Amino acid sequence: MSERDFHPLVKQLLDGELTIADLPAELRAEGEEALRLLTGVDRSPVELPAVTQRVMQTLASRPAPAVPAWKRVMRPREIRLRIRPWVLAPALAVAAALILLIWPATPARPAPLVTVRFVLVAPDAREVSLAGTFNQWDAHATPLVRSGSTGVWTATLTLPAGQHQYAFVVDGARWVPDPGAPAVDDGFGRRNSVLTL
Amino acid sequence: MRPGSEPKDGDIVRAVLAGERERYAVLVDRYRDRYARYAARMLGSADAAEDAVQDAFVRAFDQLAQCKEPDNFVGWFFLILRNRCFAERRRSRAEAPLEAADSVAAADRTDGGAETAERRRALQLALMELTPDQREVFVLKHVEGLSYGQIAERLSTSIPSLKMRMHRAYDRLREQLRDHT
Repeated sequence: MSERDFHPLVKQLLDGELTIADLPAELRAEGEEALRLLTGVDRSPVELPAVTQRVMQTLASRPAPAVPAWKRVMRPREIRLRIRPWVLAPALAVAAALILLIWPATPARPAPLVTVRFVLVAPDAREVSLAGTFNQWDAHATPLVRSGSTGVWTATLTLPAGQHQYAFVVDGARWVPDPGAPAVDDGFGRRNSVLTL
Repeated sequence: MRPGSEPKDGDIVRAVLAGERERYAVLVDRYRDRYARYAARMLGSADAAEDAVQDAFVRAFDQLAQCKEPDNFVGWFFLILRNRCFAERRRSRAEAPLEAADSVAAADRTDGGAETAERRRALQLALMELTPDQREVFVLKHVEGLSYGQIAERLSTSIPSLKMRMHRAYDRLREQLRDHT
């Protein structure tokens, strides 16, 4: 602490955790100096009435916000089916034929599975999770576990070989690309990390 | 929606994404002034704050589909505005920050007398000499009146790290303002 630093008790005074009367007598002058500093705080409101019109004028010439393809696919929608029995029978016959044709021709060959460990150093985080193409970008599906008090968060997943995109979600709100992996633009100004297995 | 009740942010976000872009004006009206003071104190100028708030709303519109929690639009918007303010300070640090701070104080000279205006001007100039992280925690606590707990939640960080930033800010402000206190 240098000579010109405030005493820790005076900083508590500035934080509102102590009053000037709580300070020992020898610190009261320093406390009063500190409180004078706060008299310069300007809490007067700032109003921006013209912003709404300016924003809406700007938006008039811009494309609509793009909804990602996976969101469009996942959006619930109503589908109405009218069953006509005379159409259903041939359709079932065609479907059965297709199954017979396709089934033996395409034996299931699942992609090999690879075990991967994801690591993020985030000492200030309260929770970290992983969202990506492998869990439908669900920010709650894959939580990471904190290792002791080091601020290192890890999760081990077994994923099919291939390319996956993902990001860490810190405290449920902040989407952070993996600093140790290459990243691509997601088309909306943010970066997704890329993992190729 | 009940008659007379305000639509929720999430309902408006979903309506805008469905094509009703004119309803975005409700969100702009609702939040344009809430963080204007934060932006003005972070950037040292009401004009710079107006540009930053406008840009942040336009960027939020462009990225609206990325808003993971539409009912918490305002929390997400704040982070966009915060990034904009930090980027602006990085960009304009070399561009006469003292003049920018003068413009904030000048607007206040009529409402609190010359002495108040001078104290405000001096503190705003000193704030502009802090790092953006230090300035932000000072603005959120002492200008916006948030507690350390509320700031920690908003910025996804811990209270001890906020206090460390703030206490360094107090020391630097004391150094900057030694002729004014």
